[in-house]
Amino acid sequence: MHKNPVTIGPFESVGRAAALMNQLKIGGLPVVEKGKLVGIITSRDVRYCHPNRLVADAMSRNVVTVSPECSFWEAKETMESHGIERLVVVRDGRTVGIITKSRLYAEIGKHVDALTGLNRAEFLQHKAAELLQSGQEITIIFLDLDNFGTIDKEFGHVIGDEILQQVGKILKSVIAEGLDYLCRYAGDEFAVVTVRPLEEAKQLSWQMIKALADARWPQGIKVTASAGVAGGRRSRVRGEPNGTRNVRDLINLASLASTKAKREKRPVVVAGWVELEEVG
Amino acid sequence: MSSRPPFASHSSEPVRRAEVTIRLSEFEIPPMQDVLLVGKRAPIGPEAVRRMVDALTPDQYDIIYLDHEIFEAAVLKRSLLKFLPQEKFLPVILEEGMRVATENTVVKAQVNIVVQVNRAVDL
Repeated sequence: MHKNPVTIGPFESVGRAAALMNQLKIGGLPVVEKGKLVGIITSRDVRYCHPNRLVADAMSRNVVTVSPECSFWEAKETMESHGIERLVVVRDGRTVGIITKSRLYAEIGKHVDALTGLNRAEFLQHKAAELLQSGQEITIIFLDLDNFGTIDKEFGHVIGDEILQQVGKILKSVIAEGLDYLCRYAGDEFAVVTVRPLEEAKQLSWQMIKALADARWPQGIKVTASAGVAGGRRSRVRGEPNGTRNVRDLINLASLASTKAKREKRPVVVAGWVELEEVG
Repeated sequence: MSSRPPFASHSSEPVRRAEVTIRLSEFEIPPMQDVLLVGKRAPIGPEAVRRMVDALTPDQYDIIYLDHEIFEAAVLKRSLLKFLPQEKFLPVILEEGMRVATENTVVKAQVNIVVQVNRAVDL
């Protein structure tokens, strides 16, 4: 975010707001009265208003705000759901910053895998925590390609990258929007957090494995994968006997299950289902 | 005579004169009359009008914020609303205002309301 943004008072003129935005090359100003945020005026507002008008007569009074602790994805969802291009960051009723769409998207871009276009591991953690926080049960599917190191060595990294791109596309075509959230976790590992029940998530992991096995790959290479599945929900009881567990532990459980699947040459291993005391 | 005439042709400096005209008239307080209709894109908006009204004539006018195609707000003299309720008066004044105003204008209106009463009294 842009810290300590330039603000304007509600009883200054629209002309002054426009001049200030022009001078600073910015597209919006939070409107602050006696230290309290009362509105926001944007370049769009000033375009349609007489410059003599008061800022109070041109600003939007319903300011969409976020807290400094808000995640990138949460900010993006808020921005898109309101159809706006900037969010004011507020702490204890005071304006501490402003996030613009371009800056936010640039930042989110750093968390998107350039090769596959999928989100990275941070997104999986954020989404899992968000779903748990909203009281939903979640399941993690951790998918690991078999012998990918050998494929890389034998056919080269260019072919390896092509395969990874294709894996991303295939998995994307299998998942359902709004139910399943896919990411490239690391090298040849992909993960999904889903709100489907454990049994349905297990079926989904089978579909993924089958889709990869049925696909046509460059140079006739055989690409297979092993999956680990682990489900969890937010515990309603504090102080579980087995200690506090969180999203990371759940991802880890699924990851270990995928390792076990690989070791035992089984396509899918279900690690089971756990109560999570912390969602972070 | 040693002094030069003011408009001598060889003078390098032309003489300039200014004429001052002054028109004095009383500033009406309040500057609006009975009704003010504020266009959506007028040079002043409802907040500016509210501050002006509060400063010049406190407690005499009501500001009604509108969801209207041309006007953003209407300022009505409270005494008028004793004669005619707002819900009856406002649609009439907006309908007439629309005939003469645009989004960019602020229209003031003088309104006369005459109430006619016929009553029968038992003798």
